[in-house]
Amino acid sequence: MHNEESRTDLGNIRIHKNVIASIASLAAIEIEGTKRVGQDLKSGFMEFIGKKSFSAIKVEFDKNGEVKLEIPLIIKYGYNIPEVAAKVQENIRNNLEKMTNLLIKDINVNIQAIEKG
Amino acid sequence: MKFFTVLGIVFYSTIIILVGLSMIGLSLNLIPMQNINNLLVYLQNSTNLKIIFGLSGFLLILISFSFAQLILGKFQREKTIAFSTTSGEVTVALSAVEDLIKRLTGIIAEIKELRPNVIASKKGIEVDLRVILKSEANIPELTSRLQEITRSKIQEVLGLEEQIFIRIHIAKIITPEEKERKKKDNEREDPAVPYSGFGRI
Repeated sequence: MHNEESRTDLGNIRIHKNVIASIASLAAIEIEGTKRVGQDLKSGFMEFIGKKSFSAIKVEFDKNGEVKLEIPLIIKYGYNIPEVAAKVQENIRNNLEKMTNLLIKDINVNIQAIEKG
Repeated sequence: MKFFTVLGIVFYSTIIILVGLSMIGLSLNLIPMQNINNLLVYLQNSTNLKIIFGLSGFLLILISFSFAQLILGKFQREKTIAFSTTSGEVTVALSAVEDLIKRLTGIIAEIKELRPNVIASKKGIEVDLRVILKSEANIPELTSRLQEITRSKIQEVLGLEEQIFIRIHIAKIITPEEKERKKKDNEREDPAVPYSGFGRI
């Protein structure tokens, strides 16, 4: 898995893609109206065996070191989807910039389902 | 239809037809077993032919994967509604819209079951609703109410200004007598076990 690397006087700092996915996941569920982060086959299996996996959240770094993120979400019934999605994008951007100093290019939200809250 | 899709269909049809013809040929003894045996022996002895055979197999697998990705990717793209915001793109799975519509069952008392099918096309969003009604309600009034509620709910939740076409199909109307009969049938299927409570404190 690709890591984002930055250099300081004392050495290198690497941020693993999983860390970015983890921040994004926590930032997404902070927003009112978000039920949970969606799953793919791998993360579903990992959860089944009791391990946490963020493989459903796709993190990519482009040549300029900018981050492109794709996050699947399950939204609670009764909430306005564009509003919730926009709030999630904003919160993820703020938290990632605050915690990692990375430049965020795109945060694509994929609403997988709607569930009763 | 795109060039690659046509190419894929022609390719797979040809392969399947060839496999079918070979099977028919073998069963009718049109292809002598000796020829196949000779071919296999020749393949076993020739290194060049083995390499060509192996590479052809590898190429076939690669072609299959790329076509599968192309088709699945196409299906996935068609199964979402997308819109852009300043921070990126938001895609809503059509199954999520279907979930949303299913929840409307609770709002209208006369509806027993609602099975939605949502299609996003160039014209707008097409919603097919298959409805099972609880009792003999006023169907024109009920359907127009259902159409209105569905339309307003989709627009409210998705915030889309696209045209929404709603088709309703009443699949069944369950009368009170039928409901009662079903209840009785269920009771008959699950009779109480004698002495089932015996020994309980």
